[in-house]
Amino acid sequence: MKNKKLRLLKKLRRILPAEAVLGDEERLRPYECDALSAYRRLPMIAVLPDNVEQVRAVLQLCARERTPVVARGAGTGLSGGALPRTDGVLLVMAKFNRILAVDEHNRTATVQPGVTNLAISEAVAHLGLFYAPDPSSQLACTIGGNVAENSGGVHCLKYGLTVHNIMEVKAVTMDGAVLTLGGRALDAPGFDLAALITGSEGLLGVIVEVTVKLLPRPDTARVLLAAFDRVEKAGDGVAAVIGAGIIPAGLEMMDNPAIRATEEFTGAGYPVEAEAILLCEVDGMAEEVAAQMETVEEMLRQAGAVHIRAARDERERALFWSGRKGAFPAVGRISPDYYCIDGTIPRRELGRVLRRIKELSAEFNLRVANVFHAGDGNLHPLILYDANVPGELERTEQLAAAILGHCVEVGGTITGEHGVGVEKINQMCTQFNARELAQMHAVKSAFDPEGLLNPGKAVPTLARCAEFGAMHVHHGKVAFPELERF
Amino acid sequence: MQTALADFIRETPRGREADAILRKCVHCGLCTATCPTYRLLGNELDSPRGRIYLIKRMLEGAAVGAATQLHLDRCLGCRACESTCPSGVEYGRLLESGKIVAEQNAPQRGAKERALRRLILAVVPHEKRFAFLLRIAQKLAPVLPHRLRAKIPHQRAVPAWPAPRHRRRMVMLRGCVQPAAAPAIDAAAAQLLDEHGVSLLGAGGCCGGVALHLPAAKKGLALARKAIDACWPPVEQGAEAVVVSASGCAVTVKEYAHLLRDDPAYAEKARVVSSLARDLSEVAAALNIIPAIAPRNLRVAFHSPCTLQHGQKITGVVERLLEDAGYTVAATPNHHLCCGSAGTYSLLQPGLSRQLLKNKLHDLHSAAPDLIATANIGCLLHLQSRTATPVRHWVELL
Amino acid sequence: MAAAEHDASADLLRAVKQARKEKRALRIRGGGSKDFLGRELNGDVLSAVSHHGITAYDPAELVVTVRAGTSIAALGAALAAHRQMLGFEPPEFGGRATVGGTVASGLSGPRRPYAGGARDFVLGLTCITGKAQLLRFGGQVIKNVAGYDLSRLMAGALGTLAVLCEVSLKVLPLPAAERGLVFSVTRDAALHMLAGWARKPLPLSGAAHHDGLLHVRLSGARSAVDAAAAALGGDEDDVSWWQQLREFELPFFTAGGAPLWRVSLPPAARPPLPGDSLVDWGGAQHWLRSEADAADIFTAAQNAGGHAVRFPLGEGGGGVYLSPLPPALLQLHKKLKNAFDPDGILNRGRLCAEF
Repeated sequence: MKNKKLRLLKKLRRILPAEAVLGDEERLRPYECDALSAYRRLPMIAVLPDNVEQVRAVLQLCARERTPVVARGAGTGLSGGALPRTDGVLLVMAKFNRILAVDEHNRTATVQPGVTNLAISEAVAHLGLFYAPDPSSQLACTIGGNVAENSGGVHCLKYGLTVHNIMEVKAVTMDGAVLTLGGRALDAPGFDLAALITGSEGLLGVIVEVTVKLLPRPDTARVLLAAFDRVEKAGDGVAAVIGAGIIPAGLEMMDNPAIRATEEFTGAGYPVEAEAILLCEVDGMAEEVAAQMETVEEMLRQAGAVHIRAARDERERALFWSGRKGAFPAVGRISPDYYCIDGTIPRRELGRVLRRIKELSAEFNLRVANVFHAGDGNLHPLILYDANVPGELERTEQLAAAILGHCVEVGGTITGEHGVGVEKINQMCTQFNARELAQMHAVKSAFDPEGLLNPGKAVPTLARCAEFGAMHVHHGKVAFPELERF
Repeated sequence: MQTALADFIRETPRGREADAILRKCVHCGLCTATCPTYRLLGNELDSPRGRIYLIKRMLEGAAVGAATQLHLDRCLGCRACESTCPSGVEYGRLLESGKIVAEQNAPQRGAKERALRRLILAVVPHEKRFAFLLRIAQKLAPVLPHRLRAKIPHQRAVPAWPAPRHRRRMVMLRGCVQPAAAPAIDAAAAQLLDEHGVSLLGAGGCCGGVALHLPAAKKGLALARKAIDACWPPVEQGAEAVVVSASGCAVTVKEYAHLLRDDPAYAEKARVVSSLARDLSEVAAALNIIPAIAPRNLRVAFHSPCTLQHGQKITGVVERLLEDAGYTVAATPNHHLCCGSAGTYSLLQPGLSRQLLKNKLHDLHSAAPDLIATANIGCLLHLQSRTATPVRHWVELL
Repeated sequence: MAAAEHDASADLLRAVKQARKEKRALRIRGGGSKDFLGRELNGDVLSAVSHHGITAYDPAELVVTVRAGTSIAALGAALAAHRQMLGFEPPEFGGRATVGGTVASGLSGPRRPYAGGARDFVLGLTCITGKAQLLRFGGQVIKNVAGYDLSRLMAGALGTLAVLCEVSLKVLPLPAAERGLVFSVTRDAALHMLAGWARKPLPLSGAAHHDGLLHVRLSGARSAVDAAAAALGGDEDDVSWWQQLREFELPFFTAGGAPLWRVSLPPAARPPLPGDSLVDWGGAQHWLRSEADAADIFTAAQNAGGHAVRFPLGEGGGGVYLSPLPPALLQLHKKLKNAFDPDGILNRGRLCAEF
């Protein structure tokens, strides 16, 4: 192992400048985790290439040396997707931070993977365009990571996930081949490989360039804040708005603990007494927005909103959203640590799921704050815990597993936008059966037969599932009862 | 984040403070986006989150190598990360502690680096020494190479400091570099206050910031005590505020209470001085200056020093004062980023500093301004060294 | 709604198992509306039409789950009853088009550039791979990133990877109002106008040019549609034109002539393609009638940044289909095919000659 490391370091230093190859514990320590800091592993080596040739050379070297490679962007992922391997090379793509081209006529931007999500919208704002997906970490998260995780955001219901907003991805496979997936037209010949690599969590290829779709910035966007004295009523409000034929640009719900935590930080003006608030944004042409705002307000009032307030201006709109976007870290102010869950559920199950979370919260004696992308059913319960208290993380993980199990039971999934990473790897055994997982491994092999790219993430081995001992549950029923269980 | 501080520091005041700060950090990484050095270098180790990790590692008892010190040295201390951080991590304070512990535990710096640091400490905080050297430099300017010449400020006419005549009084801590390099600034401030019914009394001395950030804590605290002593008589006689025109010094004076909290002789005085400390912009904003009637037809690009916008969290105040005075204040991109001056950073990290300066001037010039305004002497001299556009302290424009 | 007697998945599974055992090629077929599409038809017909019906639909969830043999027309009617629709507006082909065939061929109608294509609306599905395994990927919720997105991979794969059984699709509300406009302009002028409009937040839901006329469709709230119509100008146009375009009923398609091609391009591209053309998708899809050699058309499309597909509607298919894949991608396609259908029994040779 030691010899291998020394040999690799020597060879890597032939590919990269000395300061771009990190091999000592002191320099490697800050790379031991991404934003899911509960999981940490010191990489054997970290490298910081700044061009595609270097990436190819590093991958080819690692393929020859049978050394696993984990790609990392800004390290803002919440599922441990960039968790290093102690026997592997961490491929840091942060130096790829240039916007290569903006094609205003075809409304695309071609960027390096280390460009931050927000930087794209900022760079094209003067053209009246924007890049739609907006994960809460959009200030810092990179587009390469967004593609790898198929990131969402608060505007997904109307504008889609990352997969709906990218045209072309250039990726390098483990053998050093540079593949162009998708294209500049609305479809590409053959299989939809751009869709396949999106959300593949760095297991199929290393993304080195992305061409994203740009949309015209709506000339009007208005947001409305509605407070409810019961969470269920807020859920009814969501169903009523969508039932009225409106697709809001954003539809977000927060429960009381989440409201309190964020209000303290942002002063967004959230009513701290409310059991739930809904933020509903509609955008488009001014005429359309005016008509829809009226309907939304009426629907929410009928659903039992006790208080409704529309943002008066752009500044107040930004303020309303600042609370929601800063919600996760703001929880860091009321709790030393938090654990974010990313399940999705059919919206109609919201009341039931929140009740169950409340019960589980009491059972495990851990506080839970809920932040909910209500429009698309993506629920983010934040479990508040203290990592310095022995055993508390373990209890937190058990609670998280129980919540995710419940999400799958009601017809949802274990991750809506954060990815499986290492964090939800066991829950994959709940959501998929052995054959489905085997099929995913077969797809992985088509790209990376030796299994060297980000191994151990996203798709569990069947052995792991056997160990986990979970049963595949779908809609409350065990599928294929005739098959042996893992 | 989970922490396990080592015995050598866990139960000390510094250790307890550091632990509390570390525990607030949730490792989300938002800070990386607004960190000037991370944006240039793309290395986690040159980001706030990476440095927090290096400090955590050090405080948890791991051996400190040159890497930790290098990456802490590369930090500008601009605290843009604090403005970005949704979890309220007091990075600046953690960094000070980290630097001090690193200084004690890391391998000794190279001889050249040590000499440079000693030289800075021997000259900069001492008003008279600095003034003397500056006068020589100004005399020699015509024969100096261009690169050095650009760094030497020109002497400008200094308005008269009005004699105290009002009942309302404030004391101004004038600092070390500014009285020699740009004496017009404080005089302009004194005039402005005088016109609005407040007499400003000058008090000499360095605030200690340069030494504290180097870090030379002992010398820094000694200078802080001297500055408190200098301000103390007017404070005792009822000065309403301790005014500081350089935002870099203002942020330090506001920290006195924290820095000297364990000094029995000075804790109380420091608390009073910090509570009275005001950035000049805060004082000016409270003067109810009557807005100019006619616009001046001049475009100003305002570079808000990090010590103003991040250190003191004062935003939009100077811009409003300038607009009220009839200037057009142009919006410029990346306004949250440091210009690379950062105290002694331009001397200790010249490469990164130059790059940041280049980027900053590019951003400021994108607004095609007639004038560049700022609020800190360090930024002013740094910016002026590479641009023909006049750079002024905003108070000189009112 | 979902009568169990219309669940033929067990039959389909049995049929694939049998075929696999015998290494016999299967040709998956729904309503047969797209028999013309693809390179060649090989093997025994495996009909999916008996596997039909909507299995789950809750309008407030904006999701419908439907068996592959269900006709697009029947599904559209069920959605319309709740004032909803398939956002990608696939052709119904006289009621013969099925959900399975539509997803497998990845066909989308005029609304494609504004609402998304077939692949964008696929949330999850069950399918039978060439290994005769009934698998489920994706889900019935809008957001889902668990595991590889193998359901979207099926969209446009022409049944070469698996037999689709049940598909969950995102649906959209029907627009409250629609209006058609028409402008008398050349193709180049139309593309120029469209490029400008595309940068404005207009409620566009269709933009096509043919024969000196630019047709535009607006959809949304009545007030927005009217305001946009006033801003754009032009003459009032019957919105039924768009239905004819969607269903290939315009004379351009029905009158016959030179071989028909679908050329997919970046919207601002000006392809130097010889032949009569109808431009749809706001400039991103060119329907071309051309006698030119396939190789020339492929090259021209590629040079313009896109690709071409032979679309022998009403001509009887066969032969060429797709722009050739670059060698590295072709390799990858073969490996993926092998991962799903190692014996090559499903729709052999329909997408690519190599598999």
